[in-house]
Amino acid sequence: MRTNRGAIWASIIALFLGFAAVTQVHSQDVFSRSLNLETPSSLTTLIANLSETNNELRNEIFDVRRAVSDAQNSVSSGQGTLTEAERQVAQLRVFSAQSAVAGPGIAVRIDGSFDERALSDLVNELRNAGAEAIAVNDMRVGPKSYFTGAADRSIAVDGRPLRGPWMVRAIGSPDVVYVAMTRTGGIIGQFELIYRTTRFAVTKETALDLPAQVAAAR
Amino acid sequence: MNVVAVQTPRKVQRSLVLLVPAVLFGLLVTLQWRTQAERSELSVRYNAPLIDAASALQKEQNELKTQLAQLRARLDEIQRNASSQSGAAKELQLQLDELKASAGLTPESGDGVVVQLDDARNVSVSSRDIDKSICHATDLTDIINTAWKGGAQAIAVNDERLVNSSSVYCVGSTIMVNGTLMSPPFNIAAIGPQNSLLGAYDDPNQLQDIKQRRDVQGLGFHVSRASAIHVPAFSGALNVRYAEPH
Repeated sequence: MRTNRGAIWASIIALFLGFAAVTQVHSQDVFSRSLNLETPSSLTTLIANLSETNNELRNEIFDVRRAVSDAQNSVSSGQGTLTEAERQVAQLRVFSAQSAVAGPGIAVRIDGSFDERALSDLVNELRNAGAEAIAVNDMRVGPKSYFTGAADRSIAVDGRPLRGPWMVRAIGSPDVVYVAMTRTGGIIGQFELIYRTTRFAVTKETALDLPAQVAAAR
Repeated sequence: MNVVAVQTPRKVQRSLVLLVPAVLFGLLVTLQWRTQAERSELSVRYNAPLIDAASALQKEQNELKTQLAQLRARLDEIQRNASSQSGAAKELQLQLDELKASAGLTPESGDGVVVQLDDARNVSVSSRDIDKSICHATDLTDIINTAWKGGAQAIAVNDERLVNSSSVYCVGSTIMVNGTLMSPPFNIAAIGPQNSLLGAYDDPNQLQDIKQRRDVQGLGFHVSRASAIHVPAFSGALNVRYAEPH
């Protein structure tokens, strides 16, 4: 009886150990586990996306490295680092939607029924395509912007209701952003299937003018 | 193992004989269970080099981010030392500090809420419902939108800080935030007024779809109060190439 009990215990512990060993092997690389489920075409898209992010990082590293050596040189020649600080202030004001901006990009005109979740998804997709500045009608979208529905079928951006037809404008590479929106199976194609009576018009723009973000109304 | 240790030598031997097959059995059961969820070997064969490439790129990205963070810190240090020399420089440095904080380039800590989102685990769902039992990119965008609405001051998803250029991107069943590969569970940490944040998540009109899938398909969705949350600084690139300030 005792032997059996011992064996049962040993088996239970061994089962657990076996389970733990496999779990351990599998959890070593969390990405490859989920990547295993992807099709080659999805993987190719993921790789393109990773490469793009890494290229941007390399460019930025190059720029900041130069800024560091410029700053060191101007400090040692007694000039201070005002110019570099001014450049950074200008860049961050654009990046965080605190200054009005101009540039090329695309415009999406939405005429018909639409909702806040779809608008939030559209903004997400534009950012993903590399849009640097986005506005809905005349409201600039900022880092903490949120979208809510309102009773009269208007959509509120940061608590301010905006009525359709909505004009979403985004500054960025016109070709890249345009293709990302209008490709087969892309977000505009999906919208056209879901909001069947709504008209979506995407156009490339050579000169857009977007206002700075106004303080959020809470 | 204590139980085995107190047996007489002969009995220990007998137990040890059982140990090896039992470990193997455990391995087999678990492997079997795990592989059932995965694709057939055929599609995996073509995927192997692609998965290796994606993993290598993600590893490279982590290194690039560390490098960029170090360079940014170095530049900040030089500017800070230089700015102590004149009043104008001090003023500019203050402005720069404020902008960095509002853009998400500085780490933040404070009280807030943590939202956990995960695929349904250990729940048998019919294949028809699989789509509803896993997390989607749109679930994350909805959860994030609700946090900003609730007055969040800083948000990170699995330690990726959300900034004005941040997006949640989904390919197949893989999700990327800020161009970084992620897999569930997702931890959305939001610093901000706790009651207002909890109120936003408790609002029955918000996140109806996620709440229903939690109740029916066992999707993991849990919101809790958390104190002293740490949200890291954004470590990605600040792309401003097309937009000109005016």
